[in-house]
Amino acid sequence: MKAVMPYPTIRIPFGPQHPYHIEPEYFMFEVDGERVIGVKPRIGYAHRGIEKATENRTFIQNLYLIERICGICSHAHTTCYTQAIEEILGAEIPPRARFIRTIIAELERIHNHYLWFGLASHEIGFDTLFMYLWRDREIVMDLLELVSGNRVHYAMNTIGGVRRDITPEIAEKIREGLDALEERMKYYKKIAMTEPTISKRTVGIGILKPKDAIALCAIGPTLRASGIKRDVRADDPYIAYDEIPFKVITYDGCDVISRLFVRCDEVFESVNIIRYAMDHLPEGKIRIRVPRRVPEGEAVSRVEAPRGELIHYVKTNGTTKPERYKIRSPTLGNIPSLCKMLVGEYIADIPAIMVGIDPCFSCTDRMTFVNVNNNKQWILSSEELRRYAIK
Amino acid sequence: MTEETTEENAIIREMKHLIGKNVLESEVPRPRRIFILINKKVFIKTIRYLTKKMGFSHVSTITGADVGKEIEVIYHLNRDGTIELSLKIRVAKDKPVLPTITDLIPGVTLYEREVHDILGVIFEGHPDLSPLILPDGWPSDVYPLKKEWTIKKIQKKVTKG
Repeated sequence: MKAVMPYPTIRIPFGPQHPYHIEPEYFMFEVDGERVIGVKPRIGYAHRGIEKATENRTFIQNLYLIERICGICSHAHTTCYTQAIEEILGAEIPPRARFIRTIIAELERIHNHYLWFGLASHEIGFDTLFMYLWRDREIVMDLLELVSGNRVHYAMNTIGGVRRDITPEIAEKIREGLDALEERMKYYKKIAMTEPTISKRTVGIGILKPKDAIALCAIGPTLRASGIKRDVRADDPYIAYDEIPFKVITYDGCDVISRLFVRCDEVFESVNIIRYAMDHLPEGKIRIRVPRRVPEGEAVSRVEAPRGELIHYVKTNGTTKPERYKIRSPTLGNIPSLCKMLVGEYIADIPAIMVGIDPCFSCTDRMTFVNVNNNKQWILSSEELRRYAIK
Repeated sequence: MTEETTEENAIIREMKHLIGKNVLESEVPRPRRIFILINKKVFIKTIRYLTKKMGFSHVSTITGADVGKEIEVIYHLNRDGTIELSLKIRVAKDKPVLPTITDLIPGVTLYEREVHDILGVIFEGHPDLSPLILPDGWPSDVYPLKKEWTIKKIQKKVTKG
């Protein structure tokens, strides 16, 4: 009998520092030749302990903290937070505030999808497209700055409403910007459909079958690209989504290009939502006053962030600080699906597949506790620090 | 619509029919939200019924919370993207053990690891409960979301080691 020597598999560490991703995260790949046969994620490198920190801050202070969970979907996080607190308070925010929150949320989605499409084209080596997309992303960033005064952390939400109004002049500027954004995205979608540089790297890559998507609790555009029609905005409407007609986009290719098309079409839907919201913007106040002390209670709040379902759970104890605040961001929900997609693929396709879920590790790692390394820096005396350095 | 005929109340009725007095508390604070506290004994039976028979196949997340002498583990289950059912189970703080549900829903692997990291709840039968979010070399007895571990106390403990 001829003895067959099995080929040894090789383990390749990916991260925490890696040219592919600007955020620190670690994946251990087990590979057989060029094929990935196993993935083990290890997150936590951007862990700042926000959940523990919320318990030590008042509800107003937490508004600022929660805005800073993520730099891209900051509005989604504060919308989720404020509506949870408003639910416990029993506060009904004015209709105009609900519409303004919706407009910002959709501008944020357009921003995120432009940014994502740019990053995706960068990952597959199509840097020209990346430059064009990021140039046009400036249009939506300028609009957000015009409305809120900020390009990234808009700080529009407050408990009881929004902080700034949208005047007719601003609305006119937003309309002009939307026309340009819609026009450009049509062009980019056409490129994605015809350009072999994109299709060769994305068609049939990173397959996630609908059955697996459900079993692994996938969410957001990742789930919708596997043909499952699920969107918090439509299924569990919040702010003004029950008053605005829109379509839930699905594709059934289950691969990276389907995830790309879902996001392209979502930009068109977002443009329509904003136009509708501005046409039907109710008159009236933009915020109401709410008490600082929140009665005892609990609430589960869900939002469709640009990356998928975002869920916050809050428990209050009748004081000015929360008893427990739990955040689950979309990326964490999609990591099991990501591991599934990667198995069986080539090493060279890893970045394209990873970018497919639109990972944001800054959101994912937000939980629980103060960054240990930072604490060391604060607490060590200069002498201790010197000894530590010598050691 | 009267209170009795809503879908949410029908779900609670079905749960009471299934496990009777083991439904300790139930509440529908607003449409599409349900909170149910159940007895730990019937946990696997309930969760199997909810996920396989009643269509709550999506787990949004698992929350762990310190509620004094016990730890409350909340499974946020979802049906068709609409109704969010928060199933609560309380376990003793000195012996926080629950069976894993990764065999029923593979998507909860990371959520169970997270609750294990921050509150020390042991999910029996979980394939790998190694640290997920806390750094390597973190003291094994420090569970940062337990109320007795204040930020000051954690800083003292962690920087000493």
